Amino acid sequence: MKKEDMVKLISAEGFEFVIDKDAAMVSQTIYNMLTSPGSFAETQHGEVTFPEISTTILEKICNGKETEFPIEPELTLELMMAANYLHT
Amino acid sequence: MESELVRLCIEAACENRESVEKWRRQRRSLERLPSHLADALLRRLIHRRLLFPSLLEVFKHSVEKIDLRGENSVDAEWMAYLGAFRYLRSLNVADCHKVTGSALWPITGMTSLKELDLSRCMKVTDAGIRHIISISTLEKLYVSETGLTTNGVTLISSLKNLSLLDLGGLPVTDQALSSLQVLTELQYLDIWGSEVSNKGAAVLRKFSKLSFLNLSWTNVTKLPNLPSLKCLHMSNCTISSLLEGDGGKPPLKKLIFSGAKFENEAEALMHIETSFLSFLDASNSSIQRFCFLPSMEALKHLDLSWSTMGDDLVKHVACIGANLRNLNLSKTRVSSAGVGILAGHLPNLEILSLSYTPIDDVAVSYISMMPLLRVVDLSNTNVKGFIHQEGAEPDFFLSLKALESLNHLERLNLEQTHVRDAALKPLSSFQELRDLSLRSASLTDVSLHYLSSLPKLTNLSIHDAVLSNNGLYLFNPSATLKKMDLYGCWLLTEDAILSFCKKYPQTEVRHELVHNLPSNPNGSTSPSPSRLTSRTLLVNQKQGNISISPSFVDQRLKYNREELLALQYSSLSLAIPLDRGSTTSQLLMNQSSSMS
Repeated sequence: MKKEDMVKLISAEGFEFVIDKDAAMVSQTIYNMLTSPGSFAETQHGEVTFPEISTTILEKICNGKETEFPIEPELTLELMMAANYLHT
Repeated sequence: MESELVRLCIEAACENRESVEKWRRQRRSLERLPSHLADALLRRLIHRRLLFPSLLEVFKHSVEKIDLRGENSVDAEWMAYLGAFRYLRSLNVADCHKVTGSALWPITGMTSLKELDLSRCMKVTDAGIRHIISISTLEKLYVSETGLTTNGVTLISSLKNLSLLDLGGLPVTDQALSSLQVLTELQYLDIWGSEVSNKGAAVLRKFSKLSFLNLSWTNVTKLPNLPSLKCLHMSNCTISSLLEGDGGKPPLKKLIFSGAKFENEAEALMHIETSFLSFLDASNSSIQRFCFLPSMEALKHLDLSWSTMGDDLVKHVACIGANLRNLNLSKTRVSSAGVGILAGHLPNLEILSLSYTPIDDVAVSYISMMPLLRVVDLSNTNVKGFIHQEGAEPDFFLSLKALESLNHLERLNLEQTHVRDAALKPLSSFQELRDLSLRSASLTDVSLHYLSSLPKLTNLSIHDAVLSNNGLYLFNPSATLKKMDLYGCWLLTEDAILSFCKKYPQTEVRHELVHNLPSNPNGSTSPSPSRLTSRTLLVNQKQGNISISPSFVDQRLKYNREELLALQYSSLSLAIPLDRGSTTSQLLMNQSSSMS
């Protein structure tokens, strides 16, 4: 897959997740970040940093796009807030 | 709306007690929770019956809206926690019978609360209202059927921001109403069943923004002009004049006169602006001539059930038929000839009820001329399903076939009519039919067979029919069938019904012998048990009122004892052990109420 078809999502701890751009664009928030006019770093490099979202949660969200997954009760609050923030 | 992932999270968070324990100590996250997520999470906890008073504490920084309607456990301890909710805008504890006047003390002086529903909290008294009046932000207050006295009502006058006040069923006197006239922001006032008379009604003029008023079951006979009024309830009142006086005519949209008596209907209604009126309920009223109807051209919903409407007057309905969506003529004298007068004048009608009228099959063909009909109720009429034609070959035709032209027909009620199996044959081609109700001792397996081909059938009710085990076995309904009600189909045995349930697990079957309804294993879509129970009870009470038809007995007399035993291969005993299988409390209730 070509580089421009992928985006890099970076968690609060600095972990990077490289995922398919179309899959990431399901999130209205990411879509806005990557398509907004102007020279934002996000638009230029296809990279989005989420200082508020932990690695565990971001991993869940990235995986969740492909398959159904079990949600551990201890993660529900954080995950629901992240999902809410990302409009996914 | 919540996204799918948010929904899944809420579901996982409310799986059971253990899952709640996993997140309830995450204080920092809980404090940051956006209010709409907190509201949704709390709603789900209530729904799953996982909420208890001390768990409320974790929501005190986030929740804005809480609905605890009908939760019997809500008491002073719950209220103590709720009083600490800093951002709470709306609190609904209607029908929470343990909420007393003193239990309201903790919510004294709440600073964000705008809406409070205490309806039918019978232990809330004048002492309780003293706590409430400290919440000066209140805009909506529901205290209908509480323990308030006239004095308590008077105290409410200090809540100057009220735009909605529901005092239904309280002893509001003319004097008490007069003390409320300082509430100039009121838009909605409900004082049904109060002691208010014409003297008090004159005070209503002070509420210049009033758009909703319920005066049902009061002694008010003369209502002064209220220029902002849009919706008026005067059920069971004796009405002599309405909205007479200076000022502009109010833009009335909805009028409810159910059970009202008119001394002179033309005079009483002469001051009403009718051009905006879209809803009129004159059921069971004393209206005789209906000469005001022709001016109500915007009417969409018209209920004339139990009234003196008949073939002679139905022309008044026909002339305003263009906009009608919903017409209820049940329990009137309207016959097939009357329906004939209406036919062709109701191009937009979607819902029509003619139950308990003297109509017969001729009306059915007129009904087929109302192209947008979705719901048709022909129950308890003389409809037979066929019309004889002298000299023709064949000498009859099936009248229900005419309804085939109604492309939107979703619901049809033919209970307690004279239809027999053969008459139902045309139904098999009704492509949109979702709901069908039948009740007749003349119907057999043949009817069931016709219904197999209905592609969208969702709810089927066949009461008191002579359905056999074999007929049920051969019935092959559409996969859309969710509910099948077979009460009174006395030939069916428990085994036959259970094997049907097994074959069609998506269909909930109701019958005297069924006590093990298929239930959703993860319980995610089923409402909380307490609410479900009360609802099923209500349904059953309704069924209880309609006793077994006389023809039911005739049908049994048709067979002798030997034939009956031959028809049925197992006992017809009603004494079913209730502990068999995994019965839930709700099913037990269902069972016991249907048997009693």
